[in-house]
Amino acid sequence: MWTWFYKLASPPHVYSVAGAFAPWFLGLAALTLGFGVIDGLAFAPPDYQQGDAFRIIYVHAPAAWMSTFIYTTMAVAGAIGLIWRIKMGHAVAAACAPVGASFTVLALATGSLWGKPMWGTYWAWDPRLTSELILLFLYVGVLSLRSAFEDAARGDRAAALLAIVGVVNVPIIHYSVVWWNSLHQGATVAKLGKPSIDTAMLWPLLSMLLGSMLFFGAVLCFRLQGEVLNRERQASWVRQALKS
Amino acid sequence: MNGGGFWAMGGYARYVWPCFALAAVVFAWNLMSARRYHAAARLRARRALIMEAAEGDEHRS
Amino acid sequence: MSVGPFEAFWLIMRRELTLSFRRPEQLLQPLVFFLIVTTLFPLGLNLQLSLLRDMSPGVLWVAALLSSLLSLDALFKSDADDGTLEQLALGGQGLTLIVTAKTCAHWVVSGAALVLVAPLVAIALNIPTGAFATMMVSLAMGTLTLSWLGAIGAGLTVGLRRGNVLLSLIVLPLAMPLLIFGAAATDRAISQVSTAGALYFLAALCVFTCTLAPFAATAALRITLE
Repeated sequence: MWTWFYKLASPPHVYSVAGAFAPWFLGLAALTLGFGVIDGLAFAPPDYQQGDAFRIIYVHAPAAWMSTFIYTTMAVAGAIGLIWRIKMGHAVAAACAPVGASFTVLALATGSLWGKPMWGTYWAWDPRLTSELILLFLYVGVLSLRSAFEDAARGDRAAALLAIVGVVNVPIIHYSVVWWNSLHQGATVAKLGKPSIDTAMLWPLLSMLLGSMLFFGAVLCFRLQGEVLNRERQASWVRQALKS
Repeated sequence: MNGGGFWAMGGYARYVWPCFALAAVVFAWNLMSARRYHAAARLRARRALIMEAAEGDEHRS
Repeated sequence: MSVGPFEAFWLIMRRELTLSFRRPEQLLQPLVFFLIVTTLFPLGLNLQLSLLRDMSPGVLWVAALLSSLLSLDALFKSDADDGTLEQLALGGQGLTLIVTAKTCAHWVVSGAALVLVAPLVAIALNIPTGAFATMMVSLAMGTLTLSWLGAIGAGLTVGLRRGNVLLSLIVLPLAMPLLIFGAAATDRAISQVSTAGALYFLAALCVFTCTLAPFAATAALRITLE
């Protein structure tokens, strides 16, 4: 029953599965993102307090969610590589890092642009914003550390350890609005109970969240294929795989 | 839509549109960069295979 | 002749301290750096004494952070370079013990020294003497936490070219919560408001780090050295 799981440790299997899933992820992502953007920009009603500026949520919230989700994925994948010595874990972690960093930049930038009309400032040293900025620094640290090693395997292991150490920041980001008096608003969707947002505004948001996850899936597949090839260049299955 | 039409975003246009533009850039960069990474890896692997085949021929001849 | 773990710990600590004191200039450098950096802020900003007081907790803590980073690079470097670390690890006491002893010795010569010098700096920054106790306690806990975070970073970067830049890049983001609460504790002491919350949080960070960091630092060394 678990054979599909064990097979994920095998590079040729990962390479072909990633290749098969990627176009589907991409196509579905295009549909859901397209729907989300159009619905969110054109059809969702304007907020009674924030007017049309609230529409920034349709890019900011997915970006922020992805930044922490990808970091956690990277840390878990690195842990799998470190503890069970499964090389594909390191491959996934390496593939995640640049994508997650870009989403963190997007979250910070869109948040900043949203902050100006809403709070009157482009930046505040508030717990959530600060911990998100720390997340960006952690991503940069992981990327720099991995590339600093000449021995790629050692670089993978060091980067995995750093990612695991830094994962402490992720719950801090999520709970910062609960633990401290923060400028940033509290959770609207990711909490127990009814979401505190109007349904007509909620649908495009969910669509953007789903679309971003699917998009990440597609990008991860492409990068993962690259990582697998770079690590397994000498293996015999590569010749067969490259013919396709 | 109100207050100046769709593009004006109720007066917040200079905040809303750059956000969506940035998002488009980030998504596009991710996709292009990932595909480029895969293509470069494929190229390097092909070259490695060719070198290996060439060395094999040298040994035999 | 077998040595118990506590004896081994003290032996290694004594070794580290002896080696450190053999080069007193090396010990003084971070302290002098601390003093210089704290003078830079008042000079550069040309503030009135009252404004300086408001900024002082942050200035003090940033300077402490940066000067601690200076000495972290050397934590494992020379022993890793000449193979002493591996020999010690083979000695049967385990790498974690060695790492703990080395980090504690590092804190004694850098963090503890910083805490002792801090009152001088505090006077220069116009911090009222009533806040000194909180300041020194918070610095003591903060520098200990920092020594441990630095041990993880040093373990990951030992043997890399330009490892010290990468070390800072790794350690500073992890140290940011420390900075926030440490400065907050001193700030509240200056404003004569209750410092309990900030100090407890700082203590929690310290305990959390001191418990888990030894294992992370050992794992880091195993990765980079094996």
